[in-house]
Amino acid sequence: MMAGKTGYKTFKGGIHPPYKKELASAKAIVEAPVPHEVLIPLSQHIGAPNDPLVSQGDRVGLGQKIGASEAFVSAPVHSSVAGTVKEITEVTGFTGAPAKCIVITSDANQPDFERKPGKELDSFSDEELRAIAREAGLVGMGGAAFPTHVKLTPPKDKPVDMVIINAVECEPYLTCDHRTMLERPSDLVQGLKLLLKATGAKKGIIGIEANKMDAVDIMRSAIAGEPDLSVEVMEVKYPEGAEKMLISALTGRKVPPGKLPSEVGCLVQNVGTAVALFEAAAWGKPLYERVLTVTGPGIKEPSNLLARIGTPVSALVEACGGIVGEPARLIVGGPMTGWAQPDDSAPIVKGTSGILALTADVVDVGSEEECVRCGKCVDVCPMFLLPNFIVQAAKNGQWDRAEMWGALDCFECGCCSFTCPAYIPHVDYVREAKAGIAAAKRG
Amino acid sequence: MADRLLTTVSPHLHKKDETIQKAMRNVLLALAPAAIWAVIVFGMNVVYIIAVSMVTAALSELLMRKIMGRKQTLGDLSAMVTALLFAFLLPPTTPLWVVAIGVFIAVALFKELFGGLGKNVFNPAIAARVVLYFLPLAIYGQKFVKPFFWKTSGFFTPVATSVSNGVATFKNLAGGHVDIVAAATPLSLIKNGRLLAPDVITGSTPVAATYVNGAGRPNFVSLFFGLKGGTIGEISVLLLLLGGIFLIYRRTVDWRIPVGIIGTYFVLSLVTWFYPGYALFSGGLWLGAFYMATDWVTSPVTRRGKWIYAVGIGATVFILRFFFSRPEGVALSIFAWNIGALVIDRYIAMPKFGELGVGAFNRLPALPQPAPESYAWRPHFLE
Ligand code: SF4
Ligand code: SF4
Repeated sequence: MMAGKTGYKTFKGGIHPPYKKELASAKAIVEAPVPHEVLIPLSQHIGAPNDPLVSQGDRVGLGQKIGASEAFVSAPVHSSVAGTVKEITEVTGFTGAPAKCIVITSDANQPDFERKPGKELDSFSDEELRAIAREAGLVGMGGAAFPTHVKLTPPKDKPVDMVIINAVECEPYLTCDHRTMLERPSDLVQGLKLLLKATGAKKGIIGIEANKMDAVDIMRSAIAGEPDLSVEVMEVKYPEGAEKMLISALTGRKVPPGKLPSEVGCLVQNVGTAVALFEAAAWGKPLYERVLTVTGPGIKEPSNLLARIGTPVSALVEACGGIVGEPARLIVGGPMTGWAQPDDSAPIVKGTSGILALTADVVDVGSEEECVRCGKCVDVCPMFLLPNFIVQAAKNGQWDRAEMWGALDCFECGCCSFTCPAYIPHVDYVREAKAGIAAAKRG
Repeated sequence: MADRLLTTVSPHLHKKDETIQKAMRNVLLALAPAAIWAVIVFGMNVVYIIAVSMVTAALSELLMRKIMGRKQTLGDLSAMVTALLFAFLLPPTTPLWVVAIGVFIAVALFKELFGGLGKNVFNPAIAARVVLYFLPLAIYGQKFVKPFFWKTSGFFTPVATSVSNGVATFKNLAGGHVDIVAAATPLSLIKNGRLLAPDVITGSTPVAATYVNGAGRPNFVSLFFGLKGGTIGEISVLLLLLGGIFLIYRRTVDWRIPVGIIGTYFVLSLVTWFYPGYALFSGGLWLGAFYMATDWVTSPVTRRGKWIYAVGIGATVFILRFFFSRPEGVALSIFAWNIGALVIDRYIAMPKFGELGVGAFNRLPALPQPAPESYAWRPHFLE
């Protein structure tokens, strides 16, 4: 635990990018129009790939399971519209890698989701909750997309005593978690209580950065009378929403390199995931839509949208009035870790928290120079790695050295490149090093 | 739209004003007051020297990059910083041809031959200065003058050290007669570990300071404000300090290095009572600590490395002054610790987040193959 300059809890290292949350933070969540066609990637999680459960020409209903896998580390996908399967094909996903997608043409008349009357929320057992999370296809919605039921199954010898709701939203521009807290505080609290139930943890913490004091107030009143729950205000700093940084800031516990939060008895879940767990348990609703922020200086009407999974970026940009000015980068995700798109065709997935259009004036593309050893990247790296040496080793193809300097512990937050006067794209080299290390280990 | 979209890897934001060029510009800005002060104290001679230094540095870099087929990087201003710092290390009467040779050594050999900015092992200005100490040219760097010596020779008149029969005097390049006497710098009064009275050490040579105390030595006012003899850049501790604070405020330099160097030196001189006040404000300690030792390329990248490096330099300067009476101790110390910086970075372990029980030292995996890029003067073990 560490108090930052503002007196709020924080971690060591990190940066202060321009946040620009004001573009969308006052915009209430609205439902995005249902596109005439959705492209639902079969696998939207970290883990084993899914197999399709439908084939070309099949009719599918809203929320019908259309892809699944037997493997434990996997999460099924559901149809986000009622319609007809047009084809199952490979499209280029938002990461630029090809992804197998189920393309569904939506019916002209879309049904509303029918809530299934469920049990009393208090009466669920941990087993049942894990099954519900799995059936609903829940994954971490902050971007990592790790299957939730796996996280809810910590190793037997490492009991979880604390559940942390990651409401930090440290990525600049994004406001979807902020809006969710403002508009659905009690659903979030219910979700958190279900998470406590599922893990047997005693304590629940909601960590919110100090630039969302309205959400802090609302969440504080929403947890009133719950002695086990608390809301913590945190210093505004990137990447505070990274699991390890968040845990360290709130509890002082340090997750060792290569280990998971359960190592220190913590479980971290994103705001969206907690609300989705509530929806799955209370209403039987699978994860087929999510709140995301479409924003940036290149978007006419920055908005927070409730969008169907599989909606192409173009449809969402259009729903926000389209592009204005000279777009220089169109990004899926946040500006620090998101993926720059070559065009606007990629579909959004469960882990997509935003779409960003940056104009030329905010995008600073310097040319990559030789590292001048200023040490600024070392100072800001929240993992205390040596990004400059990782880059050097990667350039030289020295994979064992890249590993020694910490390439495998890098979670690609981008703090190093943000602050590098030589404009070195460290994350690019780190990915190269990770691949190189893996290849070297395979022999 | 598609053809205008950039698909570079994340992050997609960059810190405002964080560029090499802006950092170098900050250094030049920070040094400007001290340079102007030097002109006031030593006359236009200083301007001639700095101008020759900068022009030669630019030409050397252009030429070397052309020969070696690298892209031109004059725009990053690093050659200008080297040129200015090198000029700052010279006495104000250094002949211009010596300046040109020195700065060529700095930029062409110690920067470009090593692989250019970022690959150089030594701070180029320091390294060239150290080389000059050991060349026959060294004699040109030994003659110092009193502040405001130009009152006798004229503000605009170039004056340079000249050597005949191994004796250095001054010569008026405008052709007229010069009537300038050499003067001892404040630091040169420290000999064999003792602070001597001016006449003991210098005989008839006066000590170069505007204000002296009862013992005939420069007083605090002379030392701190820069009314004393010395190299072009080292005289005004006050202006160097202000510039240094500016650089720390701008995060161009890390405060740990100057604080570590000056702190270590001061503590050691207190413990041994080695004229803590007098020696601290004499010589090039402030120039070295704030502007030379903090050079990004040649100092360690980790914070703990910076502490080790800074304490090392402070202690080395002290030892050189205490035992060897070397006035060039600051340059020599930084030169030596430039290699130390590389060793520190590679071998002093830095625990990762959440990592426990790491040893104090890294064990580097052996190099699988020679580094693909090789630089003529850059030894293999440095990769
Ligand atoms: S910030 Fe960039 S230039 Fe500075 S040490 Fe790191 S990689 Fe090198
Ligand atoms: S090395 Fe990795 S973890 Fe460290 S700052 Fe860079 S991207 Fe972030």
